[in-house]
Amino acid sequence: MNEFAPAIIAALVISIMGAALSVFVVLKRLAFIGQGISHAAFGGVGIALVLGVHGATTAGAAGQLAIVVAFSIAAALWIAAISRSHRGRIDTAIGVVLSASMALGFVLFTLAESKHDHDDHGHATHGNEDQHHLIEDILFGNILDTDWSKAAITMAVAAGILLIAWFNRRRFIFWAFDEPVVDAYGLSSKRTTNTFLVLLALAVVMAMQIAGVVLAAAMLVLPGAAALNLTSKLRPVFIYSVLIGVAGAALGLLIGINADYPVGPTIVLTQSILYLVTLIIKTLAPRLRS
Amino acid sequence: MPPSEQPAVEIDHVSYTYPATGFDAASSPAIQDVNFTIAQNTKLGILGPNGGGKSTLIKLILGILKPTSGTIKVFGQSPAHARQQGLIGYLPQRIGADLDWPISVQQAIALARSCRLKPWQRLSATDNAAVDHAIKLVDLQDLTDRPIGALSGGQLQRAMIARAIAGNPKLLVLDEPTVGVDIAGQQRFGKLIDTLHKELDLTVILVSHDMRAIAAVADRVACLSRSLHFHDTPQGLTPAVLAQVFAHDVAGVFGDIHIDAHLAESCDDPAHQHQHQHDCGCDHSENNGGDS
Repeated sequence: MNEFAPAIIAALVISIMGAALSVFVVLKRLAFIGQGISHAAFGGVGIALVLGVHGATTAGAAGQLAIVVAFSIAAALWIAAISRSHRGRIDTAIGVVLSASMALGFVLFTLAESKHDHDDHGHATHGNEDQHHLIEDILFGNILDTDWSKAAITMAVAAGILLIAWFNRRRFIFWAFDEPVVDAYGLSSKRTTNTFLVLLALAVVMAMQIAGVVLAAAMLVLPGAAALNLTSKLRPVFIYSVLIGVAGAALGLLIGINADYPVGPTIVLTQSILYLVTLIIKTLAPRLRS
Repeated sequence: MPPSEQPAVEIDHVSYTYPATGFDAASSPAIQDVNFTIAQNTKLGILGPNGGGKSTLIKLILGILKPTSGTIKVFGQSPAHARQQGLIGYLPQRIGADLDWPISVQQAIALARSCRLKPWQRLSATDNAAVDHAIKLVDLQDLTDRPIGALSGGQLQRAMIARAIAGNPKLLVLDEPTVGVDIAGQQRFGKLIDTLHKELDLTVILVSHDMRAIAAVADRVACLSRSLHFHDTPQGLTPAVLAQVFAHDVAGVFGDIHIDAHLAESCDDPAHQHQHQHDCGCDHSENNGGDS
């Protein structure tokens, strides 16, 4: 079997999950929140490194994932809480969380680096190169390193996210369509927001495996944005979004692996190109019809 | 008490103070010691100035806020419980829905029922019939497949009213529904609410700072400016009551509405004689509330 099979499966599963959530992310204007969460996750990785939990083993990878997920969820809920206390100024909330978490991450990375640079006896070691490689992976993703155990964790988490999203689909649709009235209809706006942000935090951490801190949020925006260029009907928008997300991921994997390009950025690039194609279709369709 | 005689809403010495935020924020009661009951099948207009606590009172009736003191019952239950059971329909002051959503008029209205379903359930025949009936009552049956964002302002408001009644509520709460609407539009709105009131045996609460809007819909009136000043038929609204509610001599503010609000011959307030003389050519009965 292809050595990249676990990576390909993980990438496709993540792209399905990201595409399904992206419709809500786009329509609820949460793209910047995704960006905030992914950068916040950087702080989580820093904490994991300082605690000595890293992805060299399966247990280490699961431990690191758990710490990053916990940190990202905390960041997402913190953003929601700050946003509520500032009467909905969510950009301020994201600005605060993003900067604080990135700063924390870099400080902790430096701390972990200096710890690794010297052994127990204070002698210099050669951990610098590994550390820089790790930072690069975290910033830009490295899905091709995925083995079967990591792919299994990814599939389990992605399936869980999709299942919870499906269970809450009507609540999410009502909330995203008309949040000011949902409380009056017996749904809790606060609980629904928090549930979605927890799912978004999980999804961002999953997408970080492919596209890293810098580009993860794009996978939770582009497919939904592209689908909305093609239809104004509820069910088709989710179907198109998933198709575009998967097509972009498959093309990106194909090009990235064969041409030896970085896979994460290539996937984001192909999804961006698909978005541009849909934008052109949206612009030209009325003229062609008339 | 038989269910038919039970008051729709019982508000018993209710006060509410918003929590203070920040170091420099002072908190004063938004409403204070409000005390009244609303009988079933009433159309109550709650009139008051901006900032007078009308929206707070609505949130308390909907159970979104809990009173700082006092109790509220809606059909004998806590407002939150009544809301969970779908007994309350609500039309917000501003339509805050995202009109870019890829959702049809029918789907948007059906949300009122589908949001109460378990994840594995689908809308039943009863659900679909209730949604169709609501759409028919607001006369949108030709637009059900249209994207919600393609509706005009008036059509959108009717769609939101249909959503508010699609869950078969017994109480319909309308928050400033005719802001920016002309008199003819207010009267059309009043007729629509009257139809819904009769067809669905609804109790209606409408809050507004605009006496025309109240007169177009209500058969009873409460005046709220932090505390309740008056609770009776529109004809009983005197300039003195209104001046107290709005903390202003309203004759100059409301102009001909003074005439609409109560029977001209019952007004003996010398402060309003000029206004009477000025407006005596109007048809006083035309714009009166339901009891006139």
